[in-house]
This record gives sequence, structure tokens and C-alpha cells, in this order.
Amino acid sequence: MRYGIWIGRTTRLASGLLLAGMAGGCIQVRAPEKPIEINLNVKIQQEVVVRLQQDAKDLIQNNPELFPQ
Amino acid sequence: MTSRISRTAIAAVLLGLGALGAAPAMAQDAVISAAKAAGTVGEQADGYLGIKGTVSGDVRSAVDALNIKRRAAYTDLAAKRNVTVQDMAAVTGCQTLAGRVSQGQIYRIGSGEWQTKGAGPIALPDYCAAATR
Repeated sequence: MRYGIWIGRTTRLASGLLLAGMAGGCIQVRAPEKPIEINLNVKIQQEVVVRLQQDAKDLIQNNPELFPQ
Repeated sequence: MTSRISRTAIAAVLLGLGALGAAPAMAQDAVISAAKAAGTVGEQADGYLGIKGTVSGDVRSAVDALNIKRRAAYTDLAAKRNVTVQDMAAVTGCQTLAGRVSQGQIYRIGSGEWQTKGAGPIALPDYCAAATR
């Protein structure tokens, strides 16, 4: 009975150490050497243009009186 | 009997109103088309009509009225698409400059000088590239 508790404690301690070791190995965060460049502004602008393109075409086609030539 | 007469009367009045409403709109477009041909009114990249130099009061009021209507249409669409009125107007401007300016008519990009369209296509602003593809 006492022996069992001792084994249980050891196992728990060992697994705890193991987890800590794994965590230590996994959560190694290093700053990237070069800054990550995400140029979203331009893309969003282009997406807006693409998205509105059909609306603009329809507007002109359906309301020719607003766009006299 | 009376209701039939009054219905006819209402229809006549409505028809009359319709004709009155349609007439100035037709005249307005004709004024603008003439001014475009004369090179005093042109399309702008911002989606609105612009005036070059000095024009008659008729032309000015026709341009103002049309631009107000355009802005109303841009505002509606912009609200639907959750974009700014300016963006909606500018994308429409890409379309008008790309397809609705005839050779010899004037146009303007940004706050630049008025230019006259030649035989080739208009050099559009960079952001238009996606719109005319």
C-alpha cells in the first residue's frame, strides 16, 4: 500500500518533469530575423475595386440618363 | 359614373405630370451631350462631371443636377456594399473613362489638367487596373 503511493508519486513527478521538458522544447519562441511584411492595404483596395466593378457597370447600364454621352 | 370620371381625370393629371417630369430630364441630357461635344464638360476620374472654363447657366445647372443624381446613386450602392461613397464613385469613374468618353471629348484625372481623348484608350489611374480587366 505505501509502496504503491510511492510509485504513484514518482510517476506523477516524472510525468510532470516530462511535460515540463516537452513544454520547454515546444514553446521556444524566437523573434523572426526579418520583419514579416504583410501589405494588406493595396490588396484590400484592389478587392474593393473588383467587388464594385459589376455594380458600377450595372449602374451605368441601368441608368443611361445619368451617364449621357 | 362620378368615380369613373374622377379616375380618368386623375389618370390624365398623372400623365401630364409624367410628361412634365420627363421633358426637363431629356433636355438636361441634351444640354450635357452638346457641352461634351463642345469640349466644355467632361467626365472625371472621381465619377462626376466637370466643367472646363466658363459655361452658360443652363449647362452649369444641368451638370450640377446630374452630379447630384449620380451622388445619390453612388450613396445607395455604397451603403449596400459597405464601402465609401468616394470609392463607389471612383470605380464608376474608371468605367466611364474606359468606355464612355468618345474621341475628341475632354476628361480629367484627379486635379490634373483637362485632356482631350485621342484615338487610343485613356491612361487610367493605377487603381482602375482591376476594374477594367
